[in-house]
Amino acid sequence: MLSALLHDDPHAIGPYRLLARLGGGGMGTVYLARTAGGRTVAVKTLHDRLAAQPALRARFRLETDVARVIGGRYGAAVHDADPSAPRPWLATEYVIGPPLDVAVQAGGALPAPAVRVVGAALAEGLARLHRSEAVHRDLKPSNILLTATGPRIIDFGIAQAIGAEQFTQFGDATGTPAFMSPEQAAGLEHGAAGDVFALAGVLVFAASGHGPFGAGGPAELLFRVRYAEPDLGGVDPDLAPVLARCLAKDPANRPTLDELATALGAGEAPPSWVDALPDAVLREIARRAAEVWRTPPDRQPPPPPDAPAPAAAPTAPGPSRRRLLALTGGAALAGAGLTGGGVWAWLANRDTTKDDARKPGKPTATATAAPAKPPARLWTFPIRCPEAYGDVLPTKQGLAVPAGIVLTGVNAESGEGTWQANMGDGWRWASDGTRVYALREHDEGRSLVLGEIDPTSGRLTKPRVDTTDFAGDEARNQLLCVAGGRAYLTARTTSGNRWYLLAVELRTGREHWRRPVDEPGDQYGPPFLGGSVTGENLFLWRKDPYTEAVEVAVHATRDGRQRWSETEGYSSVPPSRVVRDERHVYLCDEAVMARDLSDGALGWLFGENGSRDVGDSAGEERVYGAPTLRDGVLYCTEGDRGVVAVDALTGSLNWLEKDLDGRRLNRDVPPVIGREYLYSLDDQGLRAVDLTTRRAVWTYETDATVLTPDYARERLYVRELRETFALPLA
Amino acid sequence: MHGLQPADPPRVGEYVALARLDAARSPRVPPERRYLARGADGERTVLVSLPAPGADPARWAAEARWANQLNQPGFWPVAELGGTAAFPWHASPYQPALPLTAALTAHGGPLPEGAVRAVGAALAETLASAHVLGITHAGVCPAAVLLTAYGPLLACFGTVRAAAPEGTPRAGLPGVDQECLAPEHLAGAPVDPRGDVYALGAVLAYAATGHAVPERSEIPAGLRPLVSACLSRDPDGRPEPAHILAELAPGAAYGTLTATAEPVSLPGRVVAALATQSANALAAELPTHPTEVR
Repeated sequence: MLSALLHDDPHAIGPYRLLARLGGGGMGTVYLARTAGGRTVAVKTLHDRLAAQPALRARFRLETDVARVIGGRYGAAVHDADPSAPRPWLATEYVIGPPLDVAVQAGGALPAPAVRVVGAALAEGLARLHRSEAVHRDLKPSNILLTATGPRIIDFGIAQAIGAEQFTQFGDATGTPAFMSPEQAAGLEHGAAGDVFALAGVLVFAASGHGPFGAGGPAELLFRVRYAEPDLGGVDPDLAPVLARCLAKDPANRPTLDELATALGAGEAPPSWVDALPDAVLREIARRAAEVWRTPPDRQPPPPPDAPAPAAAPTAPGPSRRRLLALTGGAALAGAGLTGGGVWAWLANRDTTKDDARKPGKPTATATAAPAKPPARLWTFPIRCPEAYGDVLPTKQGLAVPAGIVLTGVNAESGEGTWQANMGDGWRWASDGTRVYALREHDEGRSLVLGEIDPTSGRLTKPRVDTTDFAGDEARNQLLCVAGGRAYLTARTTSGNRWYLLAVELRTGREHWRRPVDEPGDQYGPPFLGGSVTGENLFLWRKDPYTEAVEVAVHATRDGRQRWSETEGYSSVPPSRVVRDERHVYLCDEAVMARDLSDGALGWLFGENGSRDVGDSAGEERVYGAPTLRDGVLYCTEGDRGVVAVDALTGSLNWLEKDLDGRRLNRDVPPVIGREYLYSLDDQGLRAVDLTTRRAVWTYETDATVLTPDYARERLYVRELRETFALPLA
Repeated sequence: MHGLQPADPPRVGEYVALARLDAARSPRVPPERRYLARGADGERTVLVSLPAPGADPARWAAEARWANQLNQPGFWPVAELGGTAAFPWHASPYQPALPLTAALTAHGGPLPEGAVRAVGAALAETLASAHVLGITHAGVCPAAVLLTAYGPLLACFGTVRAAAPEGTPRAGLPGVDQECLAPEHLAGAPVDPRGDVYALGAVLAYAATGHAVPERSEIPAGLRPLVSACLSRDPDGRPEPAHILAELAPGAAYGTLTATAEPVSLPGRVVAALATQSANALAAELPTHPTEVR
């Protein structure tokens, strides 16, 4: 549990002489330290380079306040703190006991009486926190220590004041999503009821040895947290009902902490806590009581002068955003394993360290053409949520920005948030460019409703469509697109398990036609990847449930009859969008392929079978990236050589970007075409390519995941995991 | 850990006394005065021992010197000797340790038979390895058994030898737990290993019943024959420690019970008392002006 100080660790922090390391993470380090009077404490610090950031310093200050509020009965008693010091620190008692996850690993699930005591004590501790207008937001087994006198909550690294910020700072502190609340997982505000949900999850873990939503990758867990029923297998039958109520998806249906504490037997004659603990947990407590007194290991010597310095974290090519989520989760778990009692497992935070780079006015110019400078941001909208992947939806009166299951209204001029509405999944809304429409359930799921979202309030206006034929509570119902005054959707019937593709007149609510379709191949996903309308053709694409292939189908908008369908193998991730014009549908993968929209016949192929030199850097990824169609020209990346422009009618080469070297191009985000520039993402940021010289003129450093053009306002919306900002579209 | 009493020394050598290991009104008078103490620079925290009030300091210091040279598994280490002829002391680095008497207090009564067997087996192994080398502990009693996370350690080495020269009747001598004295030693006979076995029997009886000299019927049936044999009036009727070990922990390999690398099983409230002691010692701070303490 104690590890040696590193050669460059300070000798003292505040009035404390450092003895050993207890744990560390991306944000700070926790030390075992001693006062001049010999009192031994745990001292937590913020890394120097992070302490310079006001936001992190403020968070450290809040954590200090929260630790004082929780106090020694439910947490670690605060000895002293100086959040204003150049290197801010917080000194608390060294809490003796294993984290709950280590305890369960060592001794299996806790017996029901112990679970009750843990639950009642944590409920009281959290209630104290809530009474002081703060929420914990990161309750999980590794943040709870089992001591000889009861459980203690530690690590309030992402606690926050209630209502202080609308959105969960998901990018700041991912941890394991296994104990997140559904609202937190969706990027919504996690309030007091969210802590109740997390506490119940922790208790399920304590009582059964598994979390209520199992294990797995962060994305998978996030999904189950939001949609799956909790698994209470192995939980004592007396405990299961109350925990199930705490795990209600709707925060309003969860009991309060007081109710939970009462249900768990708080206030009754307390059973002897230690007598209820498994032997293995007792031995872990005894081990920690003794080990803190062992002579700490010697400080590590500095590396020999000729040894290479530890490599700095590579900035490029960086892992993809999804990968980054997974990495961060893993780092948090590793931290928890490494640390012992009285230790905060701080979460690795790669992003905040780059804040300087993302501020306007500090962009990097490309090596090839230095003179042109990237533009400054017009505004920044700090939306933070787990799924910052949805397109920004420009409407007549403003923008709608998806954030998980929430849609947020943003003033297009100022970038200020105006409203937010819980919409359900991203496939349940669609925009026709001027308005946003959404599917809703009504009458407790007995009917399905389609309405328009009021662009000023975010509320769903009077329903355009209200049908009891289809099950409103089916989460996979999908609004494919809205075009020509019609909405196209897929929905499951109320009776039976049949799925239909429907066309509905928006003005009258009249159903034009319905056609049976296969039920979704995915238990959680919608039937189709997407849909769009061109003239007489409704164009749908879906992933084949059994292969990695994509099925592209064209239906007549008049009667829904399928005109043709083709299945194309994809070498990597199926595209989230497919582009088409009046003549062709275009698919980009190993080659660029145009199929005739009317019959599916092959129109032309570009770059097939190595007919073009795409360089050796394409690697395992597909050669051609997601395309954009503009004025009869198809633009997409070609390997890592740059953006290629292909005549959409004939498939002949118009031009290829010049002099681009040494970058990894983003194949997932289609380029945006302005009047003067083409904008494309790569591992160094957002690259502007002059459409005349076909050379990159500047690069704006960003790790964006979405680019959305707004031609009406001449804006380019750039979406990162933690914020969305606007640049002028030139 | 208990508050200092007016009669307690504020300083022992370079160490400042912080707390007593034994309660002022201990159910059994401890053989030594034992304190949690800390160097004036705050760095070193130790458990320091002084002879019981009224004990012969020179005889006590002689035993301490011997203990200092021993490296017996299962014996509480005596790492540092200090003081003067009139005021000797010894010290060792602090580790959480609970006298068996305090363990019973914490547990709220006699320990469960499983715990008695585990503690007894470890002590039997400790005595077996000492007796093989001709070392008699001569201080085994409940207060001399210090329970740690890693098993019991035997402190108070040589208390009976230190109390008086051979041949002197030992009834009522300072520091001696009379109930743990074999009849022949009470009468003044030279100490020998068989006296350790008698004392071990008394310790087992104490752990299992709360009394070192219990009624036979009080002793759990499973331990009754063994404890009775240990407490036999005839020194030759007492079992060998190795035999006691085999009886208490059937099948246990010799040499595995003392100096274990992993924490041992202890009753929950005993663990809680150990953890509380450790936490209190961590949180203890030197008095601001230790020299002014009277």
